[in-house]
Amino acid sequence: MGHRDIPVLETKRLVLRGPSADDYPNFKATFASYRSRFMGGPLTPYETWMLYAAEIGHWEIRGFGMWMIHDKATDEALGMAGGWQPAAWPEREIAWIIFPGKGGQGYGLEATDACRRYLYVEQGWDGAVSYLDPKDLASIRLAERLGCKRDDAAKTIDNNDSAYRHPVPGALKNSQLADGIALEIAHYADPAFKPEGWALD
Amino acid sequence: MSRIEIPTLQTERLTLCAPRPSDFEAWAAFRGGPRSTFVGGPFDRVQAFNQFCAVAGHWDMRGFGRWIVTETDSDTPVGLVGLFHPEDWPEPELAWTMFDGSEGKGYALEAARKVKSHAFDDLGWDRLVSFVSVNNTRSIALAERLGAQHTTGFEHPTFGELICFVHQPGGGA
Repeated sequence: MGHRDIPVLETKRLVLRGPSADDYPNFKATFASYRSRFMGGPLTPYETWMLYAAEIGHWEIRGFGMWMIHDKATDEALGMAGGWQPAAWPEREIAWIIFPGKGGQGYGLEATDACRRYLYVEQGWDGAVSYLDPKDLASIRLAERLGCKRDDAAKTIDNNDSAYRHPVPGALKNSQLADGIALEIAHYADPAFKPEGWALD
Repeated sequence: MSRIEIPTLQTERLTLCAPRPSDFEAWAAFRGGPRSTFVGGPFDRVQAFNQFCAVAGHWDMRGFGRWIVTETDSDTPVGLVGLFHPEDWPEPELAWTMFDGSEGKGYALEAARKVKSHAFDDLGWDRLVSFVSVNNTRSIALAERLGAQHTTGFEHPTFGELICFVHQPGGGA
């Protein structure tokens, strides 16, 4: 039972670790801000603290959860990404949040791609969805860049959200999609061909 | 990275352990029912699940927390008792909740006594309080049976007016 050792994931620019008490101020600032409007926020201080404790405890109860995304060079916390499945969630979700002021640099794409690979390869997930608010254009764009397709037949959390279905593990192996994601991440890390003109996480 | 190891405590009839997935239904039934009004409820299943996860995560945030209390013989979860210190709480408290159908057996008193001695004797705390809603007569009675002294509490934006009971090391129980 439980998940005492939360794995550490590394990408070119990022280190993903289990959320710790040290990272709470970043989470608190985010959930006090308008940035959290698609994730049930803004929240009161009590609600925010309990939600952060829940992010950690989800690893204990479900055996998977959300990682804290850190800049590999500076250790700065940039957001969170990972697996999420509260009671009443129809399916396991891949979720993300990028902290205020940290969007537009491809961190969400780079981190979520790494989380999804871990959940598929190491934890044996055969697929996943992301439940998105139809007004959350930055997240919808990120889902599309990750190869997700809106699944209108899928059950949603409360009918106020849309289910975006991730490609299955087989569709990510040696595929044009996987190459495209890797290429976009590489361009953020070495920005010769940085995309412009839309909201990005 | 490693998460904190949650210790297990034993009393005559009870085992205090880390929350387990199998304990969730008993928790959700309590959090969704009328007895949860003193603790901000009732809550739906999604809220109850996040709160259940937060019971585990509290240990990592503070180094202490609350245990699922089980009947040792049957392994049935009967309540949640332990040390609770969320954001905007004035200080850590000894908190207790009995799940539906597990009241009236002295379990809350037995578990709370154990946690009280754990806080004073094992953790070396020199002060321990409990915050109880002014209308929660059963919890007020339990605080008094534990020998706690009634003092001025505080008004919480979510939980309303709370009495502060100050526990005494060793005595009273």
